[in-house]
Amino acid sequence: MSIHRLTAALFLISAVASAQTSDLEKGKQLFLGMCSRCHGLTGAGGEGPNLNRPVLADAPDDNALREVIRDGIPDRGMPRIRRFTDSELTAMVVFVRSLGRSAGAAAHGNAVNGKVIYQRQGCSSCHTIAGAGGILGPELSDIGAHRAPDYLRQAIVEPAAALPRGVMPVPGRGFDEFLPVRVVTQTGQEVDGVRVNEDSFTIQIRDTSGRLYSFQKAGLRQLDKQMGKTLMPDYKGKVSGSDLDDLVAYLSSLGGAK
Amino acid sequence: MKTLSTFAALILTAGGVYAQVPYQRIAAAQSDPATWVTYSGNYQAQRYSLLDQVNRQNVAGLKPTWIYQMRHTGIVETSPIVVDGVMYITEPPSTATALDLHTGRPLWTYTPDIPKDVIIIGSPPVNRGVAVLDNMVYYGTVNCHLVALDAKTGIVRWDTKVDENKKGYYITAAPLAVEGKIMIGISGAETGIRGFLDAYDAKTGKRLWRTYTVPAKGEPGSETWGGDSWQHGGGSTWVTGSYDPELHLVYWGTGNPAPDWNDETRPGDNLYTSSLIAVDPANGKIKWHFQFTPHDVHDWDATEIPILIDAEVKGRQRKVVTMANRNGFYYVLDRQTGEFLTAVPYVKQTWADGLDAKGRPFARRDADPKVEGTLVYPAIAGGANWWSPSYSPKTKLFYQAAREIAGVYYKGDAEYKDGTAYTGGGGEVKSGDQAYGAIRALEGTSGKLKWEFKLLTPPLAGLLSTAGGLVFGGAEEGNFFALDADTGKLLWELQLGASIRANPVSFAIDGKQQVAITAGNSLFVFGLP
Repeated sequence: MSIHRLTAALFLISAVASAQTSDLEKGKQLFLGMCSRCHGLTGAGGEGPNLNRPVLADAPDDNALREVIRDGIPDRGMPRIRRFTDSELTAMVVFVRSLGRSAGAAAHGNAVNGKVIYQRQGCSSCHTIAGAGGILGPELSDIGAHRAPDYLRQAIVEPAAALPRGVMPVPGRGFDEFLPVRVVTQTGQEVDGVRVNEDSFTIQIRDTSGRLYSFQKAGLRQLDKQMGKTLMPDYKGKVSGSDLDDLVAYLSSLGGAK
Repeated sequence: MKTLSTFAALILTAGGVYAQVPYQRIAAAQSDPATWVTYSGNYQAQRYSLLDQVNRQNVAGLKPTWIYQMRHTGIVETSPIVVDGVMYITEPPSTATALDLHTGRPLWTYTPDIPKDVIIIGSPPVNRGVAVLDNMVYYGTVNCHLVALDAKTGIVRWDTKVDENKKGYYITAAPLAVEGKIMIGISGAETGIRGFLDAYDAKTGKRLWRTYTVPAKGEPGSETWGGDSWQHGGGSTWVTGSYDPELHLVYWGTGNPAPDWNDETRPGDNLYTSSLIAVDPANGKIKWHFQFTPHDVHDWDATEIPILIDAEVKGRQRKVVTMANRNGFYYVLDRQTGEFLTAVPYVKQTWADGLDAKGRPFARRDADPKVEGTLVYPAIAGGANWWSPSYSPKTKLFYQAAREIAGVYYKGDAEYKDGTAYTGGGGEVKSGDQAYGAIRALEGTSGKLKWEFKLLTPPLAGLLSTAGGLVFGGAEEGNFFALDADTGKLLWELQLGASIRANPVSFAIDGKQQVAITAGNSLFVFGLP
């Protein structure tokens, strides 16, 4: 190889490397602006799944990842944030792949014991897993695929700070889900429950016993939508230490998340 | 109504030709309220019906007269035209259909060949309706053709290519028929088109003039564009304008400059984007312009409906044009001169620290889009958008379906390539419980809020006011409703089963008043039993 060729080859290698570095930097900037709120600043996840894993279930290869970033997964709460140019997409794919090579925020704890804690604490009276359980709170059958361990931990000890929101087709994208509502009718009847659906004129509520109500808003004496609140009890102090780790590990294992 | 029947009878007998809609009949639309002969009901674009048979006392008794389900589905934004026993609608994206007014049964339908690789960037593939003139029906297609159909059979009389769809030009607006001309606006600023307003000979389809909304180098206004940015400067004309037959001026709103959210290539005010232009229909010359949002960086299209009102403003009888602009302000301008008279915010806005004496905003540079996002009110669809407001000469109120919602504006890369997105970023909408909508009644000449009726979700549907003292509107959740035009009190509402994304119209069948609206993929006609 002549000196010239060698120089040319070295130049090429360094050009490719610097293109990747600039993609990485650019991708990081875009990620921090648009993705970090749900996926965390380091990709460890939160309201969105943990991206610190080599294989992403919905994006096994770069093309699939490109499509997910471009179109979102609206049915499961990942929005299509904005239109991207090809080079922006490339940069984001490079950056998200780099997250997959970093250490995962794996759930510590023993999932088998976590399942025991789940039963002992009576979680199944309100939540359903694999067809069995109550309906007052969200179904958890594949919660581990959608929510990262830190988010699940917070949802247990401080549930009002991690409200489920904006993913389900009913009551509609962006609306608070399982919103506690208190209603007093003109005849003085009081109903406490969660909002099932709502429009400008009517509201549908399911009470704690599972009974469904439908009201014309104009006919109500009181309609109190308890924004920022939840019917889920706070488990701070009730589940802690290794029990909490185990419970988080169990929930994280649901849906095949690693 | 007696004079109307006489007028209709004259039309029927003159020459024995049925279904003739001469220009004079459109200009005199208010004398024949049984019809709905142009996009906004009349040239003043007031979307107001003089019919008062359905009123405050009996509106709660409205029942379906018939329902038509679209054969071509999607997002339906059509505003029907009704004349001489026929309703003319469009179905998404580019089908025109004539329905028997008595039954809703189709009389004919026409669907052109739309190429599989048609380029539609910047909106869903929608169409807002047809125009009628004499014995023809006119509409635009998503591959950017203007089509003239025989009103009785749907046979194609002519089909003119307006511009290259390969470069991103497409049509969603209903045309405006004025004095033997068909005026049509185009969409496509999100691909970096150079916008224009066109007029075609109604009989032949030959183009009579083209007025660019972005001046070329050396033309007046070109100094407001940096470098060659004007070549891909945007300025779509994607909603139908209004017309003053006495002043002989057409008023047409223009859209955002391109790229939308990355302004690096286009220093300057970027005339005539995000503006209202007053155009002489004889030659297309711009008589005056008013730019609502100079150097727009939020996609504040000024393509909202410009409504013409004659009223006393600041102690003087004036001919004014009003607009509830996407940027959150309600404007009143003198429509002879373009002079700015007044403007007030009608929704929460955080991008401008008010306006100067000439109506130019003090834009906040900290509200500009950023790579990491900037939270701004209103959200990307604006306080208002393509859906029509309504003005009642009876209450002197301007009714607007308004959106109270924040958005995050992102700046991104902008690379021009024919027929691809040239937006330079985008926006995320903060929907959900923190957002809401309202039907707002503003004093037409001042913009002062008279009343409001709150909606759970920011609406995407237009309004109709009537001489019966009613305002009809639609909700995202599918409720069609009637409010008292004086007070905003709810008088009637019905769940139609899908989002309403269209404008209501009113007309009569055999002397009985009807109100029509589309929800989801169905068109509903309501009347009293």
